[in-house]
Amino acid sequence: MSAQPSADHPIAEELRRLVLAVQASGQAILPVAHDELLQTVVEAAARIFGAAAASIALVDEKNQTLVFRVAYGAGREEVVGMKIPIHQGIAGYVAMTGQPMAISNVQQDTRFARTTAEKTGYVPRSILAMPLISSERVIGVIEVLDKINAPSFGMQDMELLALFARQAAMAIHASQEYERLDQALLSRLKELVGVESETAQVLRAPLDNLAAKDDVLALAEAFSSISQLGDAERKMCLQVLQTFADYVRGKPRYA
Amino acid sequence: MSDIKPAWSSQFDAETLRELSTFGPIGDITREWAWGDSTGKGMRVAIIDSGIEADHPAVGGMVRGAVVVEYDARTKTQVRYIEDPEHQDMFGHGTACAGIIHSIAPDAELYSVRVLGRDLTGRAMQFAGGLRWAIENGINVVNLSLSTSREEFFGLFHEIADHAYFKNVVLISAVNNVPAPSYPSLYSSVISVAAHQGKDPFTFYYNAEPPVEFGAPGIDVTVAWQNKSTITSTGNSFAAPHITGIVALIRAKHPELTPFQIKTVLHACAANARAVKISNPARKKPRPSKNRRRTNSKSRQVH
Repeated sequence: MSAQPSADHPIAEELRRLVLAVQASGQAILPVAHDELLQTVVEAAARIFGAAAASIALVDEKNQTLVFRVAYGAGREEVVGMKIPIHQGIAGYVAMTGQPMAISNVQQDTRFARTTAEKTGYVPRSILAMPLISSERVIGVIEVLDKINAPSFGMQDMELLALFARQAAMAIHASQEYERLDQALLSRLKELVGVESETAQVLRAPLDNLAAKDDVLALAEAFSSISQLGDAERKMCLQVLQTFADYVRGKPRYA
Repeated sequence: MSDIKPAWSSQFDAETLRELSTFGPIGDITREWAWGDSTGKGMRVAIIDSGIEADHPAVGGMVRGAVVVEYDARTKTQVRYIEDPEHQDMFGHGTACAGIIHSIAPDAELYSVRVLGRDLTGRAMQFAGGLRWAIENGINVVNLSLSTSREEFFGLFHEIADHAYFKNVVLISAVNNVPAPSYPSLYSSVISVAAHQGKDPFTFYYNAEPPVEFGAPGIDVTVAWQNKSTITSTGNSFAAPHITGIVALIRAKHPELTPFQIKTVLHACAANARAVKISNPARKKPRPSKNRRRTNSKSRQVH
């Protein structure tokens, strides 16, 4: 079926080029803004507070859980990816209420020990937990565990961790905005071209397959690191990106 | 994007804490007059939180009622109220607050208003519903360790806080220690509390630069927790129940006092308040006459 004349193809190509650019830039920035930057935040927090470990868990509203996204220090490998119900533990309370809390003899909090610490094989003595707030909503919790050379975290620690939490929340917010932009653009494009048109077919295959293409991701990461160097580098990066788009455009059609 | 605000509790540090002057008859108000010999008897205190473990030794069997406020989008107020015969505490935090209040006002009746459920949906409405329950059920003093930073609920909580104020219900609210607004703690109709470094449960301060008005112990305090345990914890949410307990004492001894008079009594009894004779020529930095007149007019209301 060819409901649309072939004259549509330049538009389709232009749209596809735009999507590629947006996706490439999104994918380029996402790893830095999200996991790598968050990893940097927890490492910095752990070092500054003199803590044995630190972690960031994000709220999954759909499943009502906290998912540990990054961690540093003791128990790191077990913690990353761990999910806990949002109605349990210190992190759960902080996420539910938006109130930070410090606790210095955690072993006595039996439910916490059961749900979290035992899973990781690491039972902290002291915890400082701070909500990550973005657009007036709690989107996660940053925790630092076991202050070295002190029995507990103090109010100054709490105030300082608030600054780290703010930075982490901004990074998460930025990456979530990219995800939303990406999805919004894709859905608009699909509406625009209609599901049965030839243009849609031209668009659909590269859009659906793009995320899985390792070479695109590798290029995007390279652009990202270059683009952080300065204006000249960013312009050069843009030229490379455009060249890349031309390269993709020149490839055989997927349809 | 809001600027980073100073952390509230730092205003109660020794180097930043300002001495206050209390004038005329207000300066004559003493702690002994305010709550001496009071046990909080007859006061109904609500703890809007995660529930209260009623058989925890720290609450001394004083839990007289427990209600769960659940989110229900089908109702007009978006909540429904369910009696909680099991007296559960989801986290331990509500029990911690109740234990602090009981340690200060041992004869006050405690009411658990659980507004935290198993998920995040409708929390603000549950919180608002908990406040309404307290206002409509003859509660004298309400402890709020929770808040919302969402601007869309500013009006809702402002209206409820004003309603409580006019209904003679005192709301004591922990301020959030993160750099964001928190409602209802920042309204003038509530008594807002942050943590200071001290340990004495009856030592509290008034902050000369509100919106946060009072500082009470909340740093490394040993509190009750789940399963009859105790923990050592830090947070503004442990400072608020200290003031809640003291307000329960004051209200039990002076039931005629209104919420704004209670605040005046607390101000006069703050550890950083000093009585000053109005005509004292030795006063080094006299306040502007405008303030002096205002203070005098308040003193007539107290007596």
